[in-house]
Amino acid sequence: MKNTLEMRNIVKRFPGVLANNNVNLTIHAGEIHALLGENGAGKSTLMQLLYGFHSMDSGEILIDGERVRLDSPKDAIALGIGMVHQEFMLVRPFSVAENTVLGLREGSGPLLDLQRAGQRLRDLSNRHGLALDPAAKVGSLPIGVQQRVEILKLLYRDARLLILDEPTAVLTPREKDHLFAILRRLRADGRSIVIVTHKLNEIMECADRVTVMRDGQVVATRTIGSTSEQELTRLMVGREVNLRADKSSQKIGASILQIKDLRVEDETGREKVGGLSLEVRAGEILGIAGVDGNGQSELAEAVMHLREVKGGHVLLNGTDVTRLSVARHRTMGISYVPADRRRVGSVTEMSVADNAILGLQRKYTRSLFRNIADARESAEALVTRFGIRSSGIDLAAGKLSGGNLQKLILGREIMRGSAALIVEHPTRGLDVGAVESVWGELLRAREEGKAILLISAELDELLNLADRIAVMFEGRIMGTVDAAAASVEEIGLMMAGIPVRETSMAGGEIKETSHGETL
Amino acid sequence: MARLFERRLTPKDSPLVILATTTTAFFSAMFVTSFLFLSYGASPFQAYFALFHEPFATLRGFGYSLVRASPLALIGLGTIVSWRSGFSYLGFEGCFVIGAAATSWLALLMAPGAIIGPLPFFLFLPLAILFAFAAGGVWAGLVGIVRARMGGNEVLISLMSNYVAIFILQYLVSGPMRAPGSLPETRLLPRNTWLPFLLAGTRAHAGILIAIAAAGLVWMLLQKMPLGYELLVTGFNPLAARYAGIDVARHLVLAAFFAGGLGALAGMVEVLGSQHRLMDGISSGVGFVGIVVALLARLNPLAVIPTALLYGGMSVGADAMQRRASIPSSVTFILQSLAVLLVLIFDALRYYRMNFDFWRRKPPTVAERVSN
Repeated sequence: MKNTLEMRNIVKRFPGVLANNNVNLTIHAGEIHALLGENGAGKSTLMQLLYGFHSMDSGEILIDGERVRLDSPKDAIALGIGMVHQEFMLVRPFSVAENTVLGLREGSGPLLDLQRAGQRLRDLSNRHGLALDPAAKVGSLPIGVQQRVEILKLLYRDARLLILDEPTAVLTPREKDHLFAILRRLRADGRSIVIVTHKLNEIMECADRVTVMRDGQVVATRTIGSTSEQELTRLMVGREVNLRADKSSQKIGASILQIKDLRVEDETGREKVGGLSLEVRAGEILGIAGVDGNGQSELAEAVMHLREVKGGHVLLNGTDVTRLSVARHRTMGISYVPADRRRVGSVTEMSVADNAILGLQRKYTRSLFRNIADARESAEALVTRFGIRSSGIDLAAGKLSGGNLQKLILGREIMRGSAALIVEHPTRGLDVGAVESVWGELLRAREEGKAILLISAELDELLNLADRIAVMFEGRIMGTVDAAAASVEEIGLMMAGIPVRETSMAGGEIKETSHGETL
Repeated sequence: MARLFERRLTPKDSPLVILATTTTAFFSAMFVTSFLFLSYGASPFQAYFALFHEPFATLRGFGYSLVRASPLALIGLGTIVSWRSGFSYLGFEGCFVIGAAATSWLALLMAPGAIIGPLPFFLFLPLAILFAFAAGGVWAGLVGIVRARMGGNEVLISLMSNYVAIFILQYLVSGPMRAPGSLPETRLLPRNTWLPFLLAGTRAHAGILIAIAAAGLVWMLLQKMPLGYELLVTGFNPLAARYAGIDVARHLVLAAFFAGGLGALAGMVEVLGSQHRLMDGISSGVGFVGIVVALLARLNPLAVIPTALLYGGMSVGADAMQRRASIPSSVTFILQSLAVLLVLIFDALRYYRMNFDFWRRKPPTVAERVSN
């Protein structure tokens, strides 16, 4: 088989970090190649070198057997290398066609020939099953379709090697299936695809070969047929990892957090949560499944009264807390771990010690002053108890890895001793090792009898942790299922807005009883 | 391939590095300004000697340096409290004027035969501090309320409020508070309200002690008190503050109140320590230079005192330099501005490291770009 791309003995050093240490990578023509590794393993750096973002310290890149030099993404594109970034680089008010030709010179003379471009785009889209309308405005397209626009951009530029960085992070299961179908067609077309990811099941599903990186080095390259998820995990993490959370069966206690007929609007007055009712009991994890943007964040913010509540009630242990201040919510016993660790959950400029008492600063006082000694002691305890890897509690929190920062925030909220805990996307972007320990901590909190509302887009996470899973779509609960008996297909359908008969019954029931109580 | 300057993943932030970049920036500013001295035909060494000798090496000059430094330090402290809380207040000129006017009004009540009559200084001073602080605090607090409740832009509003304050001052000294005579100014304040002088034979007054005490209190507020912690969190990341249950709007107003109060104390120190009367044009830009002092001190309350002394001293030395080396004193202003600019620019150095391999390895030629 012909090698499309060969990277030989690549070395890239950042100040204080050896990001790529003698890396070798070969990509064949017509294959889907997964690049697997934890955060910081060097896979992004390797791809950025290939895309001309950074210059490498030594090594060589060969395309079709010829040595090439990449100084900028422009060179990469000219050589037929294209990249779909995790965050899409699209101009939202522009149409698909306009976005595609952006930066190219189309037509003769100074005028743009969108007509001709549109025809070519339609052909490309039909040939590869992208199902895109060149005239559609990008801003109005769902995320999964926007991603296809990015792929179309690359095809339009005749990319033969497509790099996709964490392509499935934002997709529903259905959109994911569609993406994989497209990738297979591209492969059949003789193009090569590199998927940068840390999701094992997806690799097993669609890749031909996989290269595993750890600590800046390639640990192994395997064909999919000759490996297993277990082996890949071990290669990636360097030890055995158990990602099947062992949930103890335990008695579920009294109702702690009740949400009744809650209605929330966004800044423009559009309804984001429409008459939603839920109940979380002590010692239970209630999972909220759903594609991002279906009102999950608004729900969490409204429960904390970080966002105006248009209607309905939030009850904690039977007390109406709907319109109390955020601080009162916290002191009365609802903790919240927001989705965005770096921008919302922590103050990255401040030290680990200062972040460990964020929200508790009025507790650690001695007369007028902060009791810094006590605060530091509890920060040390937090770091030890949650296994946060940090060079000390005086380190700026922003310098912690994502997993350790998440453990710091989660630990802080758990150690407050609140009865209820709202957790939003706790493992987003974390690597396997960190996911394992965050899951462990959440289950530990469940065993301690906390009522946990877990919002996540990862079905794996919900199926492993939650006792019940409620699926949210456009601000409403499509249905609530028992996690032990739930199937991925069923939840996936509800996430896409298709009600499933039996389960929607259950959802309706909850809604009605809680309705009855408020009346 | 390797670049001479390579960007660091995170900036180097040890105190030593910060001190090094700051001093390097300051000496670079002096170096650049040397060429201005040369253009006047003066030796830079003599000019700098003149600039620094009088304010720091003569008793009388040092006294003047202290007099200039006190209001600068207080305004610098106000800047630190507001800016570190995320409130970009620029209205210190106005606060200074309001503080000076409030203090003068109170002090004139203490004149023999006036409403209150002579009050012992140890009673008058705390009263004056509270009164001036409250007046300035409310003045700046209004801007804080506009920002916190209505989302107004505090930079513009506070900048404009300076003019309002100056017009109020002009009205007061030409109307209700005017002393008989031709100049727009009040009577001389009663002697029992003056700040005591510190060093015999100099003009140095107790204002610098007030500034030092204020620096200690601001440091204590920000580093040791829960309110200060909340202010810093609000300044670093208002979103995180809100999610942690901190009332961001209330803290912005509080920060504005403290800042305005400190700015007003600068005005108080100036009238009670140095001018001894309220007059038109009393502020003369000190409200802006104070911000510069705070920036140069990198918003560190304890570094403000020496920085204010350096700045105040340089403006004293500028006059001496004009006399001795016949160089226009405005050159000092250029030096001061340049120093701030370069300190801010040199900060970027902390983000880079030099790559010494750069010289050892030859960069590949264009011919190597597409080999074979």
